[in-house]
Amino acid sequence: MNDALRRYPALRAWLLLAPSFLWLLLFFIIPLGIIVVYSFLQRDVYGGVVWKWSLDNYRRVFDPLYFKTFLYSLWIAFLTAFFSLLFGYPLAYFIATRPEKTRNALVLALMIPFWTNFLVRTYAWLTLLRTNTGLINVWLMQWGLLDKPLPLFGNTFAITLGLVYGWMPDMILPIYAALEQIDHRLLEAAEDLYASGWQVFRRVIWPLSLPGVVAGTMLVFIPSLGAFVTPAILGGGKRLMIGNVITNQFLGAHDWPFGSALSVLMMAVMLLATLVYFRTGGDRAGQGGL
Amino acid sequence: MSDASVPAVELRDVVKRFDDVVAVDHVSLQIAPGEFFALLGPSGSGKTTTLRMIGGFELPTEGEVLIEGEPQGYKPPYQRPVNTVFQNYALFPHMTVAQNIAFGLEMRGVPKDEIRRRVGEMLNLVRLSGYEKRRPHQLSGGEQQRVALARALINQPKVLLLDEPLGALDLKLRKAMQLELKAIQEQVGITFVYVTHDQEEAITMADRIAVMNHGRVLQVGPPPEVYEQPRTLFVADFIGETNFIPVEVLRVGSTVEVLTAGGARLQAGWAEPSLNAGAPAVAAVRPERMWLHRPNTAPEGGPWNRVEGIVRHVIYHGLDIRYEIHLAGECSLHVRLPVGRGDADVFQRGEHVIVVWPSEATRVFRRDS
Ligand SMILES: Nc1ncnc2c1ncn2[C@@H]1O[C@H](COP(=O)(O)OP(=O)(O)O)[C@@H](O)[C@H]1O
Ligand SMILES: [Mg+2]
Repeated sequence: MNDALRRYPALRAWLLLAPSFLWLLLFFIIPLGIIVVYSFLQRDVYGGVVWKWSLDNYRRVFDPLYFKTFLYSLWIAFLTAFFSLLFGYPLAYFIATRPEKTRNALVLALMIPFWTNFLVRTYAWLTLLRTNTGLINVWLMQWGLLDKPLPLFGNTFAITLGLVYGWMPDMILPIYAALEQIDHRLLEAAEDLYASGWQVFRRVIWPLSLPGVVAGTMLVFIPSLGAFVTPAILGGGKRLMIGNVITNQFLGAHDWPFGSALSVLMMAVMLLATLVYFRTGGDRAGQGGL
Repeated sequence: MSDASVPAVELRDVVKRFDDVVAVDHVSLQIAPGEFFALLGPSGSGKTTTLRMIGGFELPTEGEVLIEGEPQGYKPPYQRPVNTVFQNYALFPHMTVAQNIAFGLEMRGVPKDEIRRRVGEMLNLVRLSGYEKRRPHQLSGGEQQRVALARALINQPKVLLLDEPLGALDLKLRKAMQLELKAIQEQVGITFVYVTHDQEEAITMADRIAVMNHGRVLQVGPPPEVYEQPRTLFVADFIGETNFIPVEVLRVGSTVEVLTAGGARLQAGWAEPSLNAGAPAVAAVRPERMWLHRPNTAPEGGPWNRVEGIVRHVIYHGLDIRYEIHLAGECSLHVRLPVGRGDADVFQRGEHVIVVWPSEATRVFRRDS
């Protein structure tokens, strides 16, 4: 046995990887397969599955009712990625330009809030944002700054805010990692070659941080597209995302085949988005040879 | 523009402190227009810091930096008529060779046509035509070095600052690039301030050398002067190969006489001014100034120093043979004799010899300097 392992190093690698493969197969690939299969079946009246092949589920996906929700989810995911980048980049830049000790402390500080359960944190936003009893509106009205509550809850604003808050670290960390790697002599060289502060950023720092921006954007966009907890709580039941519809098909409407079809479509969109994004943005940034 | 009487770069009593580290200690220098000036010293001697103060990346704690007679004060790098070739080049990895070289002109808003023309000229100058579209990571070390040079020179600075520009290259390439750099400098006529820790490089390339140690400039002069007339033990030791013989000073003044531990009296051409009779000292002689004789053929009298010794090692080096000679008093000398003069000139291990050299080639230094 030992001799065989020494003679065929590849065999050893396979043996070492076997547990992970088994795990992936059991808990990832098989369930995925089940979902794909289900999406081509039909529901029976009691919430079970009938083994009759059909494309009905996919036809229903394009029903305006669902399709609009789908587009709305894309829009929310886009907004979330956009605002996470807008606020996350400066923060990542700030952290990356501190002295090393401060840097590590700040990264830790960034993560601490996320050691609390996501649901709890989202409910915390609820107490702040709720239209009539939310703390923000209550205070603003008590101080006489408002006479009508602001629409902070149950809308696109609330959902986007919740998602930006939730996924911001996933944007900041890869950008921070990319920025931190930039050789400061490149900035001195640019300065030596007459670049202004803005030009140094635009021509050197930004392009070299692009790999981080690309990674961060995907890390925020994809989970936002499939989000269901945040819209369920902060959407106030008025605005649904595709994640809520899918949850509902499985838990409420007991239409597993249709829920599966929606899931498959969502995954396809994510896959497509990832491929396109890494092809364009990712490649251009990658040429930096970082 | 460049008036020969105004130094291209002048440092007036410049000091740079980082917290409690004195990186540069009261340095004054004048560098002439068109000069190839080397800052030479071991690692940590303050060369880079001196260069960065000329470039404006650091500001002096005390003293003043002048470029073409103009005090630079707090001017940032981009307001000084200098450009820098950085240690390890600092090429922009996401830009092509042409984009790297064009960067400075682009930042100053030079028209596109002119940029293209001048980038072409620069690529010609550094022999990289046809490399426009490559990226830095697709270039060899020597090619990257030339791009860094072109990127700086295209801005036509009054002074070019180079920080160990050949430090990352292997020996053979470094030798070739030394010649090429020197040729380019002569062609463009720009003042070069060149930092290196390689004494051979400084000697081959520079018009003048400033030798630095512990933040101080110990000696400034053309290479032959610094090599042949070192004024401190450090300079004698750092530049070239030197034999050191511990001695006691017998007499200073118009003639200098010292006594070796083995009891030989030596005459010296020069002694450090602060030395007095009776002081412990070191006599320094370059190995190539020494000759070996058999006891019966050694010259008598004349302006020569003589010490007796025994041949310890004989090493054949092709062009020359190097001998290690053991002297009385735990001291040994290295002697280099050219090969190919035939007859009895090859000495054997264990042979008794007399080492002979001209008195004026002997320089006496304080032992603690
Ligand atoms: N930014 C800095 N902060 C603190 N000390 C520094 C800094 N830059 C240089 N030094 C110190 O100043 C001295 C001279 O450094 P440097 O000019 O880089 O020497 P060289 O280029 O001759 O190797 C060294 O002791 C170095 O540690
Ligand atoms: Mg240095």
